[in-house]
Amino acid sequence: MDSSSALKLDARSLRAAFFDLDGRPPLAAERERWLGHELSELIGARLGDEAFWSAWLEEQLYYFFLINNFRPQSSRVLELPQLLAKGAIDAQDALWRIALSPSFDQRNPGADTFVTVVMEQLCGMVVQKNARELEIGKAGYDGRPGLFLGTRIGSQSDVVAAAIADKRFASHLIGREYERLMRGAPPKKELRGWISRFRKEPRELASIYAEWFASGAWAERLELRRPLSNRAWVKSVFVDLFDRVPEANEARRMRDALDGLSDPAPLRSLLVRLMMDGPDKEQLKLPAEGTIEDESGWIRSVFPLLLGREATAEEARVFVHTLRLKDCGPATIYLALLTSAAYQED
Amino acid sequence: METSSQPKRLGRRALLKAGVAASALAATGVLPSAAASLFQAGDEKRRVILVAFAGGVRSRETFGSPANIPTLRGLADGGVLAPRTRTANLGHYGTALSIFTGVSEARGIRENGRGPDPTLFEYLRRDAGMAASDVWISTSGGAQQTNYSASSHAKYGQKFGANVLDGDGIFNREFKALLASYGEVRPRDAGEAEGLDAMRKALGETGSEQAARVEKYILDELTRGTTDISGPGASDQKAIRVGRNLFTIFKPSFLGIVLQNADIAHGDYNGYVEVVRRNDAALGELWAAVQADAELAATTSIIVLPEFGRDRDLNSRRGLDHGDGSDDLRLVTTTFAGPAFKRGVELDSEIDAIDICPTVTSLFGTSAPFARGKRLSKVLA
Repeated sequence: MDSSSALKLDARSLRAAFFDLDGRPPLAAERERWLGHELSELIGARLGDEAFWSAWLEEQLYYFFLINNFRPQSSRVLELPQLLAKGAIDAQDALWRIALSPSFDQRNPGADTFVTVVMEQLCGMVVQKNARELEIGKAGYDGRPGLFLGTRIGSQSDVVAAAIADKRFASHLIGREYERLMRGAPPKKELRGWISRFRKEPRELASIYAEWFASGAWAERLELRRPLSNRAWVKSVFVDLFDRVPEANEARRMRDALDGLSDPAPLRSLLVRLMMDGPDKEQLKLPAEGTIEDESGWIRSVFPLLLGREATAEEARVFVHTLRLKDCGPATIYLALLTSAAYQED
Repeated sequence: METSSQPKRLGRRALLKAGVAASALAATGVLPSAAASLFQAGDEKRRVILVAFAGGVRSRETFGSPANIPTLRGLADGGVLAPRTRTANLGHYGTALSIFTGVSEARGIRENGRGPDPTLFEYLRRDAGMAASDVWISTSGGAQQTNYSASSHAKYGQKFGANVLDGDGIFNREFKALLASYGEVRPRDAGEAEGLDAMRKALGETGSEQAARVEKYILDELTRGTTDISGPGASDQKAIRVGRNLFTIFKPSFLGIVLQNADIAHGDYNGYVEVVRRNDAALGELWAAVQADAELAATTSIIVLPEFGRDRDLNSRRGLDHGDGSDDLRLVTTTFAGPAFKRGVELDSEIDAIDICPTVTSLFGTSAPFARGKRLSKVLA
């Protein structure tokens, strides 16, 4: 794989990198700070930032479906981004805390469900092919001693500990994280090395991530646009309209509603219109109507900003023409772009 | 390709058959007489509601305790009862998905991905030519259940998927309050609308009438009281209510409803029985709404089955898990009712939950080529 560490950040790669690292596009100040810099510089800075680990935690909670009413509220889980950013805890212990949280227990009630989910989600096992282990784990969950995944257990927490101690935990975590960030299967030879490093020292995960971003795999990922998750879309709209990250609560209410639809496009469109017309209208980070001197230049700047690509000549012509129409203005341009199919991808 | 969803002229034999079935249903009160006369008039369009009465529900608390389920009992009396329906315990998600694919799906309980096998929604859309607006699913289980929409199969997939709508995710007080805080959607000026159209065209996009209808439906539903449903089993109640409203407004050919709240049984047996009772009552309201519309009453059939049952014995928390491999877990009861099915029949033989998919596709004149189940001709009218 060719290296992408020397890649200079343009509008497209900066937007994509922020989506992958922080789960949102960059704020205006961040764009100003990072455009033209090398990707490796950005990666180094973000991996030590709490915002990266907040996004990481969010992804893990979604992975375990610990969302909505099952979202953990305990400080032992909520403090994880801060501890991970400081290096006071590693990803393995973080996942252990999540699996031992009351929310995980409530989400996966009963021995059969709990042990099945631990085997599937932590170790990537197919329980139908490991029925004996499942039965031993269920007995352990109920307090009866046994040898589960090679470890002596006798309690519900032992079931989690045994799963995390199993070698499949590391391989499953590294494999799924690679697929999430690089959008493809990990190369087998390198995968073995990453797993080995992680098993020896779980704190190595951040440097493994950095290695992935520096590899040609991330340059290839740039070519693969994928539909924005609802959680990324909500943050994206707030950043692009108001240049701010939404409060957790306002983001959650929108995201939960959007997650209820197989095709969220109609509701996304409605939300954009409501946000642009609503009481926060004055907070929109748009030029006031009639104040744009270079209309063509402004249109050409908005496409990379919102879609991560340049406008075609035809798009530029039509958008400039529309901007000059009597009932239209910058908000009309934003509305067209934010409700477009292209904006629904990262 | 001709499909049964397209109106066509009935032959004398089919007319007689339809008339007999409709008269009989009307006599039991399951089908009102007005609807029966419409059915006799020759409208052969078919509609199916398939309810995954899921979350793990034993027959002991349903047909073994008829007082819990007057609606299902009434439907069964006027239709077909299959008390020995075999299922596989593959987790709620995988097993419920099996009902829709006709293939026992070994999916992770918390897996957030589409299955590999085409769903009956995809068969109906791709092979029976149904429009997106004709195939809906109303769910109760949140984000994971939107994956029921379609498979990852190369020949089928998302472009032939169903519209999935999770009632509890959208129709809740918090979201309603959020929308209210934004105020009304401002109508666009003519010039602005024209400009938007031109820009969308330049971006290679076309307007979607379906999207506009869905948006209107969501806004209307938020004012109908669905958001106010709360308490144990609330998300199932919403799923059924949303299904009812979708079905009576859009009149689709197919509606799937997937429930989940019965899983409260792990720690609360009494709560579980209450969920069964409330869901049965909500199904009664759904069926009454169907019967109140002459066109729907004459054309709509319903299938109801749990994805699997629960353990034979209570656990240490006086709840019911699902993992003992007993017949209570593996055998559930399926109810078939409506004009597509026989009346007053109780099957002695076993059927399989994966037979439902090819049976439903056959009702719409197509097949389910990747399903492993078989068409249940013995239940069909």
